Amino acid sequence: MSLRKAIAGAAVLGGAIAAYLTVVHYSHISPICTSGGCEKVQQSSYAKVAGIPVAVLGLVAYAGVLLTAVVRGVPAALAGAVIGLAGTAFSGYLLWAQIARIHAICQWCVGNDVVIAVVAVLCVARALTEPDPPA
Amino acid sequence: MKRNRLILVAAAVGAAAVVAIVLILVAGNKKTATPTTNATATTAAPSRSLAGIPQQGTTLGKASAPATMIVYEDPQCPYCRSWNASTLPTVVDQYVRTGKLKVEYRGVVIIGPDSVRGLRAIYAAAQQNKGWSFADALYSHQGVENSGWITNGVILAAAQEAGADGQAILAGMGSSKVSAALVKAQKEATADQLRGTPTFIIVRPPAKSQQLTVAGLDPASFVPSLAAALQ
Repeated sequence: MSLRKAIAGAAVLGGAIAAYLTVVHYSHISPICTSGGCEKVQQSSYAKVAGIPVAVLGLVAYAGVLLTAVVRGVPAALAGAVIGLAGTAFSGYLLWAQIARIHAICQWCVGNDVVIAVVAVLCVARALTEPDPPA
Repeated sequence: MKRNRLILVAAAVGAAAVVAIVLILVAGNKKTATPTTNATATTAAPSRSLAGIPQQGTTLGKASAPATMIVYEDPQCPYCRSWNASTLPTVVDQYVRTGKLKVEYRGVVIIGPDSVRGLRAIYAAAQQNKGWSFADALYSHQGVENSGWITNGVILAAAQEAGADGQAILAGMGSSKVSAALVKAQKEATADQLRGTPTFIIVRPPAKSQQLTVAGLDPASFVPSLAAALQ
């Protein structure tokens, strides 16, 4: 499987998680949760950045990654790497917030953490190996 | 591998770091407002919106009101703070002040350890019939979750804004009455199948109690849902 296809697959998976959490947020319903902490996390102040739900930011980020996977070339590969790495770093911050501040773990957030980390690794690998355009 | 490509990838890592730092700063910034700053900005709000409304224990409004809205809240919950600041004044003006509705506070621990301290203070204030005013004032000091933000100083400041006796609140927080009120609220929350805060239950005998489903917590979304439930 090519790196671009793998990135696209991971982006769709991450986008599905983000889309679910976005629907949950705007529908004012509780997420399906086996970890017991999803409500706490979703209701904490960390669930929004500048008034924008983090789930929406995730949805936009995964859409961006998917777009970069569709487009060939080094610039697209680099853009994907920027989104993937920034997303991983921010997800790490939110994981810290769950553990140290909210004292609750949301399974959907952890799932997203794993997916965005995979996306970052794949995107960096692609950025390093994407063929140069013909001279 | 070409050196130029490595430089480009390194630049991408740098750009990602910048984006992440900006996101983290923005995400963290909203929670770093100091209690004193918030208190200054909102000192007048609690007394203004609840002025002239009778408070008895955890109940806000006339005892004769035909309907009751139970509100489950956590003092650390940002959505509860938002509802209290933006929508409670409208509900009070349109329904409580007119005697159509009374509102009952039920504090539950959703966010964590600081919630317990905040709820103890609120229930202690309720013993002075200032529970709603104090809860409202405490929201204006809301800080980072479980950071120890509900200090004695914050409690005293909120008490002053609410027109309550702060020292009595501090003294009463550990009382058996307050402990019993917390346990009772938690049991009621379990019975009401509480899944988050704020949650609103409409009680209008002889009709069966029902959880209020709202499209949003802002007045434009909330009030029509409340009106429909009270019809």
